[in-house]
Amino acid sequence: MPHPVSSIHDMEQVDTEDCGGDASGAFVFQSRPNHSLTHGQQRFVFWSLAAVCLATSSGFALLGYWLILPFAGLEIGLLAWALEALRSREGDYETLTIEGDVVRVEWHAGTRGGRREMNRRWARVVCDCRTPGRNCRLSLSSHGRETEIGQYLSDEARLRLAAALRRKLQA
Amino acid sequence: MSDAAHAHDDHGHHAHPAGIMRWLTTTNHKDIGSLYLWFSLIMLFTAGSMALLIRSELFEPGMQLMHPDFFNQLTTMHGLIMIFGVIMPAFTGFANWQVPLMIGAPDMAFPRMNNWSFWLLPVAGIMLLGSFWLPGGAVAGGWTMYPPLFIQGGVSYDLTILAVHIMGLSSIMGSINIITTILNMRAPGLTLMKMPMFVWTWLITAYLLIATMPVLAGAVTMLLTDRNFGTHFFNAAGGGDPVMFQHIFWFFGHPEVYILILPAFGIISQIIPTFARKPLFGYASMVYATASIAILSFTVWAHHMFAVGMPVAAQLFFMFSTMLIAVPTGVKVFNWVATMWKGSLTFETPMLFAIAFVCLFTIGGFSGLVLAMAPVDIQLQDTYYVVAHFHYVLVSGALFSIFAGIYFWLPKWTGHMYNETLGKVHFWLSVIGMNIVFFPMHFLGLAGMPRRIPDYALQFTEFNQIATVGAFIFGFSQLVFLYVVLKAIKGGAKASDRVWEGAEGLEWTLPSPAPYHTFETAPVVK
Repeated sequence: MPHPVSSIHDMEQVDTEDCGGDASGAFVFQSRPNHSLTHGQQRFVFWSLAAVCLATSSGFALLGYWLILPFAGLEIGLLAWALEALRSREGDYETLTIEGDVVRVEWHAGTRGGRREMNRRWARVVCDCRTPGRNCRLSLSSHGRETEIGQYLSDEARLRLAAALRRKLQA
Repeated sequence: MSDAAHAHDDHGHHAHPAGIMRWLTTTNHKDIGSLYLWFSLIMLFTAGSMALLIRSELFEPGMQLMHPDFFNQLTTMHGLIMIFGVIMPAFTGFANWQVPLMIGAPDMAFPRMNNWSFWLLPVAGIMLLGSFWLPGGAVAGGWTMYPPLFIQGGVSYDLTILAVHIMGLSSIMGSINIITTILNMRAPGLTLMKMPMFVWTWLITAYLLIATMPVLAGAVTMLLTDRNFGTHFFNAAGGGDPVMFQHIFWFFGHPEVYILILPAFGIISQIIPTFARKPLFGYASMVYATASIAILSFTVWAHHMFAVGMPVAAQLFFMFSTMLIAVPTGVKVFNWVATMWKGSLTFETPMLFAIAFVCLFTIGGFSGLVLAMAPVDIQLQDTYYVVAHFHYVLVSGALFSIFAGIYFWLPKWTGHMYNETLGKVHFWLSVIGMNIVFFPMHFLGLAGMPRRIPDYALQFTEFNQIATVGAFIFGFSQLVFLYVVLKAIKGGAKASDRVWEGAEGLEWTLPSPAPYHTFETAPVVK
């Protein structure tokens, strides 16, 4: 599950022209999931577990009790899959750029990614918080198509992003 | 981010079904935590009822209530269910509920796998309990599954092996989930040495589980092939070595003991500082002590089998390595006492259970040291002294920490305070009942009463009768616990967000009850 970095700083940037704009004056909002495990640490975790499992199961296999080895292999395989799944999410991001008349949305999640451009004058912010117990759903709508944004944000942060976007789009 | 006209990736946040489907399909860590805890409670009453049947039979010498083989089935299933169906699932339930809240994560790293990890357990539980109705009854060779008995039994033995495999798979998936969650989903700023002790102890427990589960899986598979496919790994008649099964089993089994107690250390390390209103004394040393216990747990397995015979050098090695574990364990006990020292103590029910844990677990630890001495162990092997020892570790240790943890976090989970008076009634009945059951067993064991027997010599009668009375006090006092929990779920005084005055940690920054989705954006830890 994606685990977003704190949006508080991001949202403060969104609320502030100076911080939200890049050198060309464009409004850029980027968010990504939080990953506290680095590549090096992932390797360490994997090999520390794999070494113990393989060493013990190989030891027993040498004594003739080889049926432990396939289970150790399966388990290490499952661990490798889990760590690889985490690694594959490291590059996830959402970027929303408002530059001149163009609203550009780019995203990457796992193996999927995409990009959509909208005309600023036609883009509308849609924020759905109607159903109790559910998260707010924030999206940009244009020409009958909705593109969801702010998936790595909390409800509060989505609402603040929605307000900031409305101001930007109307400006 | 997704395009509604094309793929719509909502991460499962926007809809959660109601009714039974909510529980079958849930990927929410709080739901799954609750499922684990309810499963554990049901199994506690199931295996506890077996214990009461065992104690009823032992109230008097001679055979009163049941056939000896059924008695053996009860002792075996009581052990298997208490370990794999009560203690382990309860701690996994705590991990599911608390780890994401404590590290500021929105959920576990692999929520669907988490769902699978839980739902495998009832399947295994049904297999184990269902084996009572199979021809020949349930397994009766002891929870350690030693050959040759385990090779010779009926079809229930195959079913038990399958159940152990399923529970092992559940544990492995749960452990991988916990490790990846703790390491990859910590809130920014929450470095390893800032993690709550409960999270640390579970991280190390999950390492232990992953390291040892293939050994158990391989061992029971070799039993299965010996039983059904003509191999002779452990079958002496075919040149196999039944003693080697004991080595392999305990290579898994002793780390398993720490799998059952390390999360308890974590819970107690959360509770004592809260009610002492002081930070945990020697946090870093607690972390290193936990890791040391885990590492040493791989070097002590043969102390369970001094009586089967081994070279003197091996006896000395396993004796001293076992004694060595007392050092990091002593560090922990010292740190808990030092945390309480000059603290502003109050004695709410979680703290009472935590203090009882420290005192009574230490008794269990000391009797473990007695058993660590090879010459003494040879005398006490398979006597009630061993039964007393491991029940002081697992009942007043693991089970009391579970009670303590439930009272501690129940207001956060339900949003209601539990009834403190009834909680204290539960505590006193439990602690008195527990000691009445298990303390006399030390004397029975020292006097030579063997374990796993339905009948005994006349001189053991009084202590057995005392133990049986204590068992019923302890057993029925758990109904008070059930009532307290149900009452708190149904209503009661509104719990504040922080619940306890001295509580520190991310989980206490959330409302009570904790919302269905929490920390969707990671908090920043200073």
